[in-house]
Amino acid sequence: MKKTFDLSSLMQSKVTWAVIAELLILLVCFAIRPDFFSISYQPSTGMLYGSLIDIVNRSAEITIIAMGMTLVIALGGTDLSVGALVAVAGAIALKFLRWDVLQYHPPGDYTVCSYALVLGVPLVVCALMGLFNGFLVAKGGIQPIIATLILMVCGRGVAQILTDGKQFTTGYTPFRVIGQGSFLYLPMPIIITLVVVLAVALFTRRTAFGAFVESVGVNPSASRLSGIKAGTVILIVFALTGLLSGIAGLIYSSRIMSNDSNNAGLNFEMDAILAVVIGGTNMAGGRFSLAGTVVGSLIIRTIVTFVYYFGIVAEATMAFKALIIAVVIVLQSEPVREYFAKRARARARLNGGAAA
Amino acid sequence: MTSTKNRQTLWSRLTNPKYIMVYATIGIFLVIYAFGAVAYGDKGFTTLRTFVNLFIDNAYYGISAVGMTMVLITGGIDLSVGAVASLTGMFLAYGTSVLGLHPLTCIAAALVMGVGLGLLMGWVIHYLNVPAFITTLTGMFLARGVCSLISRESIDIHHPMIDALAGWKIYLMRLVDGQWVKVKPIAFINFNVILFLVMIALGTFILQRTRFGRNIYAIGGNEQSAKLMGLPVGYTKVMVYGFNGLCSVLAGLSYALYVKSGWNLSLQGGELEVITCAVIGGTLLTGGVGYMVGTLFGVLLKSIIPALITFNGNLLSWWGKLATGGLLLLFICIQRFVVTSARGRK
Repeated sequence: MKKTFDLSSLMQSKVTWAVIAELLILLVCFAIRPDFFSISYQPSTGMLYGSLIDIVNRSAEITIIAMGMTLVIALGGTDLSVGALVAVAGAIALKFLRWDVLQYHPPGDYTVCSYALVLGVPLVVCALMGLFNGFLVAKGGIQPIIATLILMVCGRGVAQILTDGKQFTTGYTPFRVIGQGSFLYLPMPIIITLVVVLAVALFTRRTAFGAFVESVGVNPSASRLSGIKAGTVILIVFALTGLLSGIAGLIYSSRIMSNDSNNAGLNFEMDAILAVVIGGTNMAGGRFSLAGTVVGSLIIRTIVTFVYYFGIVAEATMAFKALIIAVVIVLQSEPVREYFAKRARARARLNGGAAA
Repeated sequence: MTSTKNRQTLWSRLTNPKYIMVYATIGIFLVIYAFGAVAYGDKGFTTLRTFVNLFIDNAYYGISAVGMTMVLITGGIDLSVGAVASLTGMFLAYGTSVLGLHPLTCIAAALVMGVGLGLLMGWVIHYLNVPAFITTLTGMFLARGVCSLISRESIDIHHPMIDALAGWKIYLMRLVDGQWVKVKPIAFINFNVILFLVMIALGTFILQRTRFGRNIYAIGGNEQSAKLMGLPVGYTKVMVYGFNGLCSVLAGLSYALYVKSGWNLSLQGGELEVITCAVIGGTLLTGGVGYMVGTLFGVLLKSIIPALITFNGNLLSWWGKLATGGLLLLFICIQRFVVTSARGRK
C-alpha cells in the first residue's frame, strides 16, 4: 500500500521521467556499443577517457548556462541572450590575449594583457549585460523574453565590432587549460561545472534565495507584499545568468583557442531552456530543480553522442534531439501525468478494497 | 463603448489610441527614410528602385511575419518558421533537381509538411498544455534536422517553371509626354513582392473582418475569458499555428525563388528576424495587440537599416545588428509607456 503510493508520486515527478529517459538512451548506446561504459586512463595527458566522460565534458557549457536559466525560468521568464553573451565573452578574451593584432604575430604562447584581465573583463562585461537584462525586466517591467531578445539580436554584433569582424587564434597555455586541461584526472570543464553547480545549489538552497526566486516566480506582487524585494531578486538572477554565460564562453573559446562570433554559443539559449524544461522546471515559473536541469543537459548531450554512433551527419542530430525531446515533453505534459496519477489512484483504491 | 459611438467618423477611427504603436512605427520609418534621403540622396537613396528593393529583399521575412503576427496576437510564439521555410526550399531543390519531380508536386508536399507541422504544434500547445516556446523549438529542431538529413550541400534549382516564376517581373512605368516609359533607374516588382502584399491584405482581412480574427484578439486579450465566453479557443489556436505553417511554407518558396537554391542552413535565426519585424511593427508579445499594417512597416523599418549601411559603405554590416537591437529597445520602451499610460487612464 505504502509502496504503491511512493511509485505513483515518483511517476508524477518530472525529474523521474528525465532520469528514466537518460538511462534508456544510455542503455541503447550500451546495446549498440558494448564498450560504451568503459573508461580508460591516458597517462600522457593525465586524464580519464571514455564516452561517459566525454558526454559530461561536452555538456559543460550548457549545464553551466542552464544553472542560471533554471533560476530565470523559475522566475517565470526566459533569457534568450545567453548564446550571444558566450560569443561576447570569447571575443573580449581573445581581444585581450591578442591586442597586437594590427601587426601580424603567429598565435604563440603569450598574452598581451595580464591574464587577470583576459579572464576578468569578459566575466564582468557579461555580468553587466545580464544586469542590463535584469534592469529592463525588474525596473522597466518588460517581459523577460522581449527584454533579452534585444541582446540576443545585437550581442553578436557587439562581439564582431569588438574584434573588427576578425577571428583571432592564440596558443597561450594558461588559457588552454580552461577548456582542455585536467584536474584530478578529470577534464577541466567538468571541474568548473561541478564548482558552478555546487555554488549555485548552495546559494539557492542553503540561503533563502531559492525560496525567494520561487516565490517571485509564482506571484511577484504577493512576494513584494510579504517583504521580498522582487526587483533585487530579478536583478541578481539575470546578472548571475550573464556571469555564467561568460564562464561558458571562456570554456568554449578555450576549447577552440579562438573567438568565433558567428558560431560560438549558437542555439545555446535553446539547448539551455530545453535542459531546464526536460529537467522538470515549469516554464510558468515557481518550483525549480537544479538536479533535474543537470540531468536535462546530460540528456541533450547523450542524444548527440548517440546519434554520432549511428554515423549520422552532425547537423541532423537536431531531428533526433527533437524526437526524443518530444517524447519526454509529452510524457511530462499535464494531461499525461494526470492520466498516470488517476490510474495509480484507481489501483491504490482497488488494492485498498481488496485488503479490506 | 456606448451604442452612439458605433458610427464613428473616419477621423475619430484613425485617431483611436489603439493605433498609436502603428503610427510610431510609420513615423520612425519616415524619419529614418528622411535621414537617408538627406544623407545619401545624391547616391540615389530616394529613387523608386531603392524603395522597391526594400520589398524585394525582404519579402520572405514579410510573408512569414504575417503568420507570426497572428501567433503573437494569440499570446503564443513560433520559433519553427525559419526552419520550416528552409525545409520548403530543400523540398523544392531536392525534388526538382535530384528526384526530377514537378515543382508543383514539391510545393504541395511542402504545404502538407508545413501546415501539418503547424497544426500538430498547435494541438500539442493547446491540448497537451506544453509551452509554445518549447513546442515550436522542438518543431524547429525537427525541421532543421530533416533539412540536414536531405542534404548538407546547397542544391541549385533549375526548372523552367521556377526560372519563369523567379524571372517574372513588372517594370514600374511612368507617363512621359503621353507615353509609358520605364522609370530610371529601372525598378520592378516581382512575384515575391506581390505575394507579400497579398498575404498582408489577407492577414488584414482575417484579423479585421472575420469572426476568426476577432477570436484571435479575444484569446490574446484573455484566454480564460475567451473560453468562458464560449469562443472556440482550441480550434482558433490550432488553426492559427496551421496558418502560420502555411505562411512559413510560402516564405520558404519566396526565399527559394529569391536565391534559386536550397540549403540546409539557410534562414538560420530567421525566426528572430521575423519576430523582430512584428515587434517593431507594434505587436505586443504579451498578446492581444497587433496590426498587419504595423507589421508591413516593421518589415520596411527593419530592412531600411541594412540599406542605409550599404549606402554609407564604410560601416561594418554588424552595425546593422546593433541598430536593430537599438530599435527593439526603443519600441519596447514605447510599448511599455503606452501600456502603462493606458492602464493609468482606466
